[in-house]
Amino acid sequence: MLNKYKPQFANLLPILQNYFRINHLFCTANQPILKILIIEDEATLNQSMVEFLTTAGYLCESVFSYIAALEKIDYHSYDCIVLDIMLPGGSGLNLLNYLKLDKKADSIIIVSARGALEDKIEGLQLGADDYLTKPFHLAELSVRIATIIRRKIFNGQSVVIAGEIQIDTNSKSVTIQNKLVELTQKEFQLLLFLAINRNRILSKNAIAQHLWGDDMDFPVNYDFIYSHIKNLRKKIIASGGEDCIKSMYGEGYKMLLP
Amino acid sequence: MKLFTRYNHVNLTSTFITFVVGSIAFYFVLDYVLTNQLDRGLYVEQTEVLDFVKVHNRQPEALTTRHQWTEISPATMLIKHPKPTTTEAFNKIENENEHVRQLVFTITADDKFYKVWVNQSKTETEDLLQLILLVIVGMIAFMLLSNYLINRNLVTSILKPFYTTIATIKGYKLSGKKPLQLPREQLDELDLLNVSLNTMSDRIHQDYHALKTFTENASHEMQTPLAVIRSKVESLLQHAEGSEVITQQLLVIEDATLKLSKLHQSLLLLTKLENRQFELNEQVNLAQIIKSKLEERDELITERGLILTIAIDDVSLSFHQHLAEIMINNLLNNVIRYTPLHGTVDIRLQADCLSIKNYAADGPLNAEKVFNRFYKEAQSAESTGLGLAIVKEVCTLAGFVIQYQYTLHEHEFSVYFKPEHK
Repeated sequence: MLNKYKPQFANLLPILQNYFRINHLFCTANQPILKILIIEDEATLNQSMVEFLTTAGYLCESVFSYIAALEKIDYHSYDCIVLDIMLPGGSGLNLLNYLKLDKKADSIIIVSARGALEDKIEGLQLGADDYLTKPFHLAELSVRIATIIRRKIFNGQSVVIAGEIQIDTNSKSVTIQNKLVELTQKEFQLLLFLAINRNRILSKNAIAQHLWGDDMDFPVNYDFIYSHIKNLRKKIIASGGEDCIKSMYGEGYKMLLP
Repeated sequence: MKLFTRYNHVNLTSTFITFVVGSIAFYFVLDYVLTNQLDRGLYVEQTEVLDFVKVHNRQPEALTTRHQWTEISPATMLIKHPKPTTTEAFNKIENENEHVRQLVFTITADDKFYKVWVNQSKTETEDLLQLILLVIVGMIAFMLLSNYLINRNLVTSILKPFYTTIATIKGYKLSGKKPLQLPREQLDELDLLNVSLNTMSDRIHQDYHALKTFTENASHEMQTPLAVIRSKVESLLQHAEGSEVITQQLLVIEDATLKLSKLHQSLLLLTKLENRQFELNEQVNLAQIIKSKLEERDELITERGLILTIAIDDVSLSFHQHLAEIMINNLLNNVIRYTPLHGTVDIRLQADCLSIKNYAADGPLNAEKVFNRFYKEAQSAESTGLGLAIVKEVCTLAGFVIQYQYTLHEHEFSVYFKPEHK
């Protein structure tokens, strides 16, 4: 009996940690702590996701098998579930079915090694909110989760705030100190990606894949990313914002903001 | 030649020959038997005449009926061995010349020689023969016709399951969910055919799916460790801040995992293409795909200062949306990757052909090997070397023909959509 409650005690620490931390993702009044369940049988990957998402301000729980996942889903509800398809003890798609039949409102993002179009379509048709193919960048996962949560929980009303920068994901507009900044579509995506993954080093690979998708074949040098970053920085500075995007030896970028 | 035609040919010819030869033989046998009968009548008459002469010792009266008549006249010579012959004689009653069987013999009465002609009319025999022949010919005709009709229906109905089997095989797709399931047949031979085909298809189906599952699983199982590597690199990257060397090396690892994962996806796609796991029945607007793919690459094109000439007709094909995207993607990736800075690119799409030309700095590629897997030009170590191989496989699957040409410092890749009209 005691064993059953053990995970919740184990989770007490991050809960407390989160409670006293200002969640930097969504700055609305009485910001709730967002709960995420990670269902992934590969322990190290699961752990990496937990670490990453905890740093990003989420409260994470992780399970490693079908049965354990079923138990968690039954007794708790989550804002978002990260779901692997191939699990010991059953298919993730069955879990998805179960959730949908039960009319649970949990958002679901599938992370799967199966990258074929049919698999993606199947997952999305069963009611998943997004589908991410392994191997993925954790930063990408974080952005996808943020998008889903914005769409579902805040009904698309959310404004992402990073320092003085306010990014309205609904109207796709950015304001700095209440001044509108004109950005191209790619610059907007880039800014949102950097802002959601702020204070983390993002490799050029991760940025390129987020902005252009998997299908593109990128040349050796990502100079075109550099020029996008350069333009974005110029525009932020011109609008009176702080120069918060730092280049890491020309290999990656990082947005330094509280 | 169809089985029925061939069978009919042999059957009808042999039946016809048998009947013709048979009826000729029959005619002669019948003729022989009837003539024999007439001859016996002649001999009976001869015996009667001889008996009459022996008893009365005088010349008998010449008896005349419709079928038999006797003529007697004095003779000078004795006929030793009289034999019946066929000849013509005048029938007084019928008042006409008739074919007759005639026996000529001599008698001695009153010490005088008489020559006796006994005639048996052949008219009736001939009539009978004619009738019999007519019946036989009728029978042959009837026999041949009925034979033809029966055979046609029989063969057609026997072969019906055979054609059903053929149609099922033709429509069968290995990538389908079920192996071939042909029904049992009443005829042993056709049943054997169906059962053997079912067994064969079962085995092929099993092998195919085992291989398919293995390839997919092998490919997928590798994605998870790659995801682990990538996530750990990402974590390490955060801790490596301050050390350029470590950052750079971590990013090299990240690049390598990315490449490995792409390689797996490409190989998986190639396997699927080879296994024909795609149905080409979507209406695909190629012009739209090219436009959107070019748009996606806008920054890359600007970055490399490429000079594009685009002439695109509105072309739609019955194809597979995803495969079409992959094909265009890979062709455009290649062009952008290999065209030197500020080079020219020429993209043309017409109803029957897509042609992509780009300026070449280093002379022609090896036209024979350019579509091979893992074929790489020396300077491009970072590509997977599978892009064009995939394009080639997609083209093969869709029945397109792809060609490479080098003219005047330009590489040209052309895809012909309807190669037979070329």
